[in-house]
Amino acid sequence: MSTNNMSDPRRPNKVLRYKPPPSEGNPALDDPTPDYMNLLGMIFSMCGLMLKLKWCAWVAVYCSFISFANSRSSEDTKQMMSSFMLSISAVVMSYLQNPQPMTPPW
Amino acid sequence: MKVLHTFCIVLLVFGSVSEAKFDDFEDEEDIVEYDDNDFAEFEDVMEDSVTESPQRVITTEDDEDETTVELEGPDENQEGDFEDVDTQEGDTESEPYDDEEFEGYEDKPDTSSSKNKDPITIVDVPAHLQNSWESYYLEILMVTGLLAYIMNYIIGKNKNSRLAQAWFNTHRELLESNFTLVGDDGTNKEASSTGKLNQENEHIYNLWCSGRVCCEGMLIQLRFLKRQDLLNVLARMMRPVSDQVQIKVTMNDEDMDTYVFAVGTRKALVRLQKEMQDLSEFCSDKPKSGAKYGLPDSLAILSEMGEVTDGMMDTKMVHFLTHYADKIESVHFSDQFSGPKIMQEEGQPLKLPDTKRTLLFTFNVPGSGNTYPKDMEALLPLMNMVIYSIDKAKKFRLNREGKQKADKNRARVEENFLKLTHVQRQEAAQSRREEKKRAEKERIMNEEDPEKQRRAKLRLKKKKKKKFSIFSTFGTLHQLIAL
Repeated sequence: MSTNNMSDPRRPNKVLRYKPPPSEGNPALDDPTPDYMNLLGMIFSMCGLMLKLKWCAWVAVYCSFISFANSRSSEDTKQMMSSFMLSISAVVMSYLQNPQPMTPPW
Repeated sequence: MKVLHTFCIVLLVFGSVSEAKFDDFEDEEDIVEYDDNDFAEFEDVMEDSVTESPQRVITTEDDEDETTVELEGPDENQEGDFEDVDTQEGDTESEPYDDEEFEGYEDKPDTSSSKNKDPITIVDVPAHLQNSWESYYLEILMVTGLLAYIMNYIIGKNKNSRLAQAWFNTHRELLESNFTLVGDDGTNKEASSTGKLNQENEHIYNLWCSGRVCCEGMLIQLRFLKRQDLLNVLARMMRPVSDQVQIKVTMNDEDMDTYVFAVGTRKALVRLQKEMQDLSEFCSDKPKSGAKYGLPDSLAILSEMGEVTDGMMDTKMVHFLTHYADKIESVHFSDQFSGPKIMQEEGQPLKLPDTKRTLLFTFNVPGSGNTYPKDMEALLPLMNMVIYSIDKAKKFRLNREGKQKADKNRARVEENFLKLTHVQRQEAAQSRREEKKRAEKERIMNEEDPEKQRRAKLRLKKKKKKKFSIFSTFGTLHQLIAL
């Protein structure tokens, strides 16, 4: 009879496969940063496009970058890409309509 | 007609260049005078004036008759030419302008200029006309910021990856000696060790180990800081946070007795007591100091009953906890673990959440954020503690008294839950019954065979009668008793 210390604790017959935890509402609760940043990015790009404010468009680009960096694994890449493209287009359109350099608000 | 047309164009042009000078020109008499007969003279005059002053001539579009229009030059000159037409004076043709005519006019500009004897101010050329990169300094700043963010993303991602790999290299041997399956992402057909971490995010890495006595499996989650996000990096400069390693061991039902127990930093325990379903229900007292067992002051204990604490705090466990107190955030053993409290919108859930016998460990990586791969070696003894805990949980059994207490506690919690949800459960049962009836009726209606339909309807009627008769019997009996 072998003691517990000597015997191998491994049991190949008791192997269980990994089951990814079911995604409940918890992912959004854990860290809402990517969702907020995505929303902010879209709002700022629309403001930049409609009101022709260059600084809005630049902030939108930053928001979409931050959202991408904080994104969860289950995040849809299509949404990331679409918000990114929207913010880039807001910047480009602002400069096409008005090539003047941005003036600081102060 | 062509001449008339040309003349109209001339009129329009003169009208737009100067307004005040054409008093004579705007008089109706003058306009009236210009009938067709005069145009011939006008033409001659115009042709003459062409030869005399060619430099101030601009031809119009219908320039077939060689009529010219003077758009530039002093107004007096043009006025003078027209006056020539009217008065047919040859003398004025040669002079550029009539001095007498514009005496008053010359004074006015002089007087106006004498009023505004301001020094000459040099106005700055607007930025967009400057044609230099310096005026776009804000844009350059923005792009630089973006580049800095991207650089930080790449650097942070790589650092997290190196830390994860360093952790795995350190712990691989210990894990492989204890578990058959080390590393599984659940996608392979066969249960074979992948031998590497699952990357969930840029800052979260998972590892699943299985195939050991006592436990079903162990999920290790490396929760690093978000080094890839520059905002997070800047926020951490204000408030230092540590990387964490979270280990969740799922025990077999027969290998763990029924108790709920937690030890860790006071702050962590207070937070867990609020958040976790089982700790809030079974360990209602505040976290107690562990000084009685020789634990440092930084650690506190939450326990369902004293016997559990006495059983858990053996020498080796106390040794582990004391030596590595700075790295331990929380240790939580529970047979009623169901995760954090679920806040449902409709109110209480209708049945108790599923529970699992679990051992949870949360360790802080030393360095407080400024972690290096070699710091991962400091966590190896903690993994030994985990393995020891698994074996201990299997060995530790409550005595008879303890078991009774534990069973009472669990019954109490269940009863409380049932009381709270009584109304909801009643409503749910009612709706279920109605649903059944509706389904039955629908089934009868859908029955194609009319004979079968008739028989089914009869059966339903009989059932209703029976129920009604039973109720009425009870009702009368009740009344009799009451009397």
